[in-house]
Amino acid sequence: MIARRDLAVRVAARTDLSPTCFRIALTTPEPLAAVPGQFGMVACGEGFDPLLRRAFSIAGVARREGVTIVELMVKQIGRGSALLRRAPLGAELRLLAPLGNGFTLAPGEEGPLALVAGGIGLPPLLFAAELLAAQGTAFDLYLGAATAAELLEVEHCRSAAAAAGGELVCTTDDGSAGEAGFVTAALERRLAGGRRYARALACGPNPMLRALARLARERGLEAELSLEEPMGCGVGVCLGCVVELADGRFVPSCKEGPVFPASRLAARWSA
Amino acid sequence: MATSVGAVRLANPVMAASGTFGYGLDLIDFCPPERLGAVVSKGLSPQPRPGNPMPRIVETAAGMINAIGLQNIGVEAFCRDALPLLRARGAVVAVNVFGARMEEYLEVIARCEREAGVAAYELNVSCPNVTAGGMEFGHDPALLETLARRCREATRRPLWVKLSPNAPDLVATARAAAAGGADALTLINTVRAMAIDAVARRPVLANGCGGLSGPAVKPIALRMVWEVHRALPEVPLVGIGGVETGRDAAEFLLAGASAVQVGTATFRDPAAPLRIVAELERFCETQGIADVRELIGGLQWR
Repeated sequence: MIARRDLAVRVAARTDLSPTCFRIALTTPEPLAAVPGQFGMVACGEGFDPLLRRAFSIAGVARREGVTIVELMVKQIGRGSALLRRAPLGAELRLLAPLGNGFTLAPGEEGPLALVAGGIGLPPLLFAAELLAAQGTAFDLYLGAATAAELLEVEHCRSAAAAAGGELVCTTDDGSAGEAGFVTAALERRLAGGRRYARALACGPNPMLRALARLARERGLEAELSLEEPMGCGVGVCLGCVVELADGRFVPSCKEGPVFPASRLAARWSA
Repeated sequence: MATSVGAVRLANPVMAASGTFGYGLDLIDFCPPERLGAVVSKGLSPQPRPGNPMPRIVETAAGMINAIGLQNIGVEAFCRDALPLLRARGAVVAVNVFGARMEEYLEVIARCEREAGVAAYELNVSCPNVTAGGMEFGHDPALLETLARRCREATRRPLWVKLSPNAPDLVATARAAAAGGADALTLINTVRAMAIDAVARRPVLANGCGGLSGPAVKPIALRMVWEVHRALPEVPLVGIGGVETGRDAAEFLLAGASAVQVGTATFRDPAAPLRIVAELERFCETQGIADVRELIGGLQWR
């Protein structure tokens, strides 16, 4: 396991990805490593508003010329994300990372895998896509959003999928781009058409993950889900983000997750 | 930086508060428990409890509201899995105890009495007493005095009572706890509060209401510590409520607390309790204070 640390980081770059989402690069001279699905807690401002840090899934980590670059994707929802969107380049923030357990990506895994992302659930899957492409594991990437404008990083996703010999499947709820309907329905159509996957990895809004857990159960497909629960501390002590497991325990998703095998979750979580 | 809360000697006046530091070992990489004055366990009941439905926490201006519902692993698992490790590290451990009936408090204490390495018990009296029709123990002085007395008879270890700021008469409950045999009082627990989603027209928390903590409650907590200290100057107090910095800790000591607990600050910064120890030490240095105990009750009233 990679040791978690509380690092001073600087805002090095920021790019808008959609009307609501942006990519932000944070840099530190300290070394840092993470696996897809792990996250960081970012102190977005100074003072007590907002009081708590914000949890963001890590979209990628690289080290170049003695500098670690941590990539995040953020959807502007409330005050914390608004502060991140306006933080000047060079501003110092704090990043507590890496936290939680990510996807299990076995080197040399045969695949093919189904990577399923809904909206701002993309970062851990884009991170995974790049690693899988580099190690030669085949996958298809399913990317869903509410509208065409909210489909994130389409070209980036397409080239990662193509590098692995796979397909990028885009869906929008309103049909303004790609296939109309939910991303889980697009996966279901392909499964019904005979496409087979060794496993599915998914991140997105909880209703999407519930639909995916049901689909995985019906199809006997092994799935790992990165859950989106509201996190207070990110280190397992506030118990604000608990999830019920099949064994009856209620565990903090920040510590035991946020990635869980669908089969470990209580049946009623996805009922 | 050494101080004491009654008979409990502390290397420094900063403790990790119940429910914000797991069972004492969760944040070892940021805050080794043995380097704090003490660690207070998550509230323990005789049996494990799953807690409340989600959502359980919501952030508010300079604070947060929680309705975790006293989720805990139960006293048996604590004594088996956490306490031996805390003991081996030399941490000063206070066990936070709660129950829905008086007997449950006694059960938790009885189980811990079989273990070495418990420095004190801290009674959480903010839970509704099912046998008294849901009245919170901490709201009724007569009920609280009985609870403190029954617990007092069950142990010779120091007994702290954590007071609720929601009681109709704080000083009356403080007196009752002391009369029942409490060695010290911790104050304050969270302030009953709610957050509303105007679009959904519903409370944000699944439980409806919860307890407010964080910097927003600090002025209330300071006032309450000061009031109880003035009314009961001989009773050691442990101040808690929005302590974020060493200077905040100094304010609580001035109001009459012998030590402080750090809670919500740990959610923002897992190293907060240890940082606050260092900050308080620096505050004392810059203020020319040789012994941190000089601060206790040192408020100069105009």
